Amino acid sequence: MTEVIVWSGWAGGLAVGIYMLFQFIVSGKALGVSTGYGNFCSYVTKARYFHVGDYVDPNNWRLWFLIGLPLGGLLAALTSPGEIVASFSVGELYDSVFPAALWAKGLVLTVGGIMIGYGARMAGGCPSGHSIAGMSMLNPPSFIASVGFFAGGIIMVQVLFRVFG
Amino acid sequence: MKKYIFLIFGVIFGFLLSRAGATTYDFYAQLFLFQDLQLMKVIAAAAGVGMVGIAIMKKLKTRSLMENSTIDFSGKPNKPELIPGALIMGMGWGLAGACPGTALVMLGEGKLGALFTIFGVLVGTLIHGLKQNRQLLREGTATDLAGE
Repeated sequence: MTEVIVWSGWAGGLAVGIYMLFQFIVSGKALGVSTGYGNFCSYVTKARYFHVGDYVDPNNWRLWFLIGLPLGGLLAALTSPGEIVASFSVGELYDSVFPAALWAKGLVLTVGGIMIGYGARMAGGCPSGHSIAGMSMLNPPSFIASVGFFAGGIIMVQVLFRVFG
Repeated sequence: MKKYIFLIFGVIFGFLLSRAGATTYDFYAQLFLFQDLQLMKVIAAAAGVGMVGIAIMKKLKTRSLMENSTIDFSGKPNKPELIPGALIMGMGWGLAGACPGTALVMLGEGKLGALFTIFGVLVGTLIHGLKQNRQLLREGTATDLAGE
């Protein structure tokens, strides 16, 4: 697995927060990622939901923002000292509780992804939109959502590592 | 076209998420096991500097460079499914060790497990949208359902 440089949590968070403000000042758009996944859905379904409101034109800023994210990851890996290693490892801790067979591990990650996608749409946002941008705007629903994200994460991981750890 | 600048914005945000440790699987497990609060610090620091910055911009009625109108800081609306949705999203967050943004960044770092996670997020988004679509058809109108 690629080892990337990691700053201290405070420094990393400060940089992320400043980026969020920068995006507001330049574009007027609030930071957010999960809505953008729907842009890709617009290309594979004729369902009206994915062609109205935010999705009238799926070729919008959100689409390009999401395309930029993997490139940012690549840049981060390229500027880290180690080699880039393409790997299905999910880190020491998750590897210790996940099934070793790739298909089974993939299934677990896919189920996790479905919960992320479905839950984020229900909640109207993900940690980027609610916890970073939303809490910064002092928007009450975003505080509630952030508490819910953490509660869900704690429940899942505690159970996961108690049962399979 | 203004939207293409977001390709660069995505690169910057993705790079910073990586440097913040948000693309490191272990930090997710350690956060929810209360062993290492790296990602808690990231969110707290980001929201902290964000609150100060936005409070100042609100006071100054700051206009954005691209839209030349006062920036809208009203945020996302409340909705009845907010709490169950947040819990489900949180459980997926803990299970996959990633969120919608960081899964994409991980892929760029060569963490191939993110392929499954990203596929799952797309499927979850699609299922939710198709369910909403049925409601949309039942109501026959309401273009505002696609909000947020």
